[in-house]
Amino acid sequence: MSGVTLRNVVKRYGNVQVIHGVDLEIEDGEFCVFVGPSGCGKSTLMRMVAGLEETTEGQIHIGARDVTRVDPADRGVAMVFQTYALYPHMTVEQNMGFGLKMNGVGKDEIRKKTNEASRILKLDDYLDRKPAALSGGQRQRVAIGRAIVRGPDVFLFDEPLSNLDAELRVEMRVEIARLHKEIGATMIYVTHDQVEAMTLADKIVVLKFGVIEQVGAPLELYRDPDNKFVAGFIGSPAMNFVKGTVRGGEIHVPAFGASVTPHITMPSDGTEVIVGLRPEHAELDRSGDTFKVELTEALGGISYAYLTAQTGETLIFEERGDERAKTSDTVSLSYEPRRLYVFDAETEQRIR
Amino acid sequence: MQEPRTSAKRMSQTQAAWLLLAPFLITYGLFLVYPFFRGFWISLHDWNLLAVAFNPDAKEFVGFRNYERVMWGRNIEWGFASPFWQGLGVLGLAASAYLRRVDRLSRFNAIALAVASLLLVVLPGFHPGEDGRWYDRRFWPTVGNTLLFVGLAVPGVTISALLLAAALNKETKAMGALRTLFFLSQVLSVTVVTLIWQIMFSPRQGLIANITETFGGTPINWLTDEQFAMAAIVIATVWWSLGIAMILFLAGLQDISKDIYEAAALDNARGAKAFWYVTLPNLQRTITLVVVLQIILHFQVFGQSHLMTQGGPNDTTQVLVRYIYQTGFRDSELGRASAMAVFLFVIMGTFSVIQFIVGREKK
Repeated sequence: MSGVTLRNVVKRYGNVQVIHGVDLEIEDGEFCVFVGPSGCGKSTLMRMVAGLEETTEGQIHIGARDVTRVDPADRGVAMVFQTYALYPHMTVEQNMGFGLKMNGVGKDEIRKKTNEASRILKLDDYLDRKPAALSGGQRQRVAIGRAIVRGPDVFLFDEPLSNLDAELRVEMRVEIARLHKEIGATMIYVTHDQVEAMTLADKIVVLKFGVIEQVGAPLELYRDPDNKFVAGFIGSPAMNFVKGTVRGGEIHVPAFGASVTPHITMPSDGTEVIVGLRPEHAELDRSGDTFKVELTEALGGISYAYLTAQTGETLIFEERGDERAKTSDTVSLSYEPRRLYVFDAETEQRIR
Repeated sequence: MQEPRTSAKRMSQTQAAWLLLAPFLITYGLFLVYPFFRGFWISLHDWNLLAVAFNPDAKEFVGFRNYERVMWGRNIEWGFASPFWQGLGVLGLAASAYLRRVDRLSRFNAIALAVASLLLVVLPGFHPGEDGRWYDRRFWPTVGNTLLFVGLAVPGVTISALLLAAALNKETKAMGALRTLFFLSQVLSVTVVTLIWQIMFSPRQGLIANITETFGGTPINWLTDEQFAMAAIVIATVWWSLGIAMILFLAGLQDISKDIYEAAALDNARGAKAFWYVTLPNLQRTITLVVVLQIILHFQVFGQSHLMTQGGPNDTTQVLVRYIYQTGFRDSELGRASAMAVFLFVIMGTFSVIQFIVGREKK
C-alpha cells in the first residue's frame, strides 16, 4: 500500500526551473529506475521524494498520504547515498541502529533488527568496526543495512554503485536485485548507467532537462522508444542514426545509398527524418561497398565494426560469426525493414 | 640543460639543511631557550633587580629557597581542610574508575581525569596548622584566582564560539559578514578591549547599567564589587578571544560532509539532535584543540586584570602573571618572581604535553 505518486511536480531554484511538471505513478513493490544524463534532474526528483529538497509546486503521495510538506523523517523513506554518508564516529551496528534510536525504539528491538539486517547483508563480522576500517563495498552494504533496519515503505538509492570498482559494481547490482526480491518494498533508484537501469528495473523513467521522456519496462523502452533521445539512451552500444528525406512514399537515406520503406505511416513528401538502426539488428555484407570499415574492436564473442558512410556519417554494428570484417574492408548492410526506427528530424519524435 | 659550474665545493644535503635551519635555531636559542634557563637560574638566587643592576655580584645562590618562600609555610599540615574541592576530587576519582570500567572513557581520558581529581584531593588539603602560616599569603589565593579565571573563561569561550560557529556555518553573504564581525574583536589589543569594557561596565554611563536601569534595576558596580569583578573580566575575555576559536570550529564544521546531515535528517535527527549526535562527536578533536589552546592562553592572563581592576577589589582578580610582574618589577624580587614563573611554566607545559599527546592519538 505504499506506491509513490507524483502529480505535476515542479522544482525551481530562484528563476531556474529544473523539474518541469512531472507526473509519475510508481506501484507498490515496484523497482523504479530514474535514468538520464548528468543534470537531467533525476537526483533532484528523488531528493524531492525523500524530502531533502522542497517541492515548489505539485504533490507527492506515498501510499495514500500526501507527503509534499512532510518532514523527511516522517515520510517512511530510507535513502542510500552515493557517498554512503555513514556516521564516521559510530560503529557499523550503531550506524544501522541510529534511525531507530532517534525514533525511540528500545535497545533489544534495535539489536534484533540490526542483527537481522547484518545477516541479510553478511556484515556479522564487522558490527564493531567503524566505517574507516571498511572497504568500499562493505560501506555500501552498511548504508543499505541502515536503510533496511528502518523498515521503510520506500527505499531510495542515489547512484549507489558509482563509487565502486567495476567488479564490485556488478556484484552489488545482483545483491540489490536479490534484496528487492527478498524485501519486496518499493524502490526508487537513480543512475546514469543504462545497464544498471535495464538489469534492475521493473519500470524505467527516462529524464532529460527535468522532463520525463518516456516511462516503461526496460524491454518496452528498448523495443518501442517514443523519441530519438530514449532510442539513443537505452541500448549499448547506442542506436545508429542517419539522415533521410521522405520522397514518393519512400525514405531516401544518402548514407545507405538507397531508399528504405519501413512499416510506418509515411509523412508527406519532403519531410526531413532521422532513421535509426540498432547495432545488433543488421549484418555486414562484405560483397557490398556502401561503407568503409574504419576500425574494429574484437571483444571475443562479439566484435564491433565502426563504419563510415560516403556522407561522412559513422555507424557501429555488431558481428558474432567466425568471419568478421577487418579494418579498411568495404561492406554493405542487410537488415529487415521492420528493424528501422524513424524519427521526425525537427521534433525528434518517433514516427510510427 | 647544463648544470651551472661553480668554483665553490658542493654542500652535502645535511650541511645545506643545517645552513637553512641556522637562522631559526639561532633566534630560537637566543630568545627562548637561553632566557628560559636563565630564568630558572635566577629563580635559584636571592636576586634584587636594582641591586644586581648596579652590582652584578649582589646576588646570592639560595637553592630552592625561593620556591619554599613562595609555595610553603610554617607548620603546614595536610587534612580535609576544604571539603568541597577535596570531595569533588574524590567524586572525580570514582567517576574515572567507573566510566573506565563500563568503557565510556578512553584510557587516556580516564587517566587525565584521575590525575586531575587526585590533584584536587591532595592540593587543597594543605593548610597551616596551629601557629603556622604561609610564608607568602597571597600566592595560593592568586593561583586559585587564575584557576577560577581559566575555569570560567575556557568553557565560556569554547561554548559560545561553538554555538556561534554552528549558527554562522552557512554560505550566505550575511553570514560571511557576521563571521568577519565576530572575528574583528580578536584583532584589537588588550588596551582597547579593556577600555571598551570599562565603559560598558561603568555604573554611570555604561550600556549594561543603562539597560539595567531601563528595567528598573540598580546598576551593578561590576569592577569594584568582589562578587562581580572576576565575572566582568571573564566576560571581556570571552568577547575578546571568541574569534580564533570560532574560526577553528568553522573549519571543523566544514569538514563534516553535508550528506551525513541529510542521512541524519532521514534518521529523524535534526536541529539540536543532529548537533548532539552528529556535529559534536565529529568535532571532538577540534574541541580538544580549542580547549587546550585556550587553557594555555588564559593562564597567561594579565592585561584584563591589570587594566580593568588592578587585581582588586581585595585581590579577588589578582592573577599569577600580574603577581609575578609586581613581585619582579615593583618589589624588585626577581628571584621569587622567577620561581613563580617556573611554576606557571610547569602548569602550561603540562597542558602543552596533553595537547601534543591528544593531537597524536588516533581515534
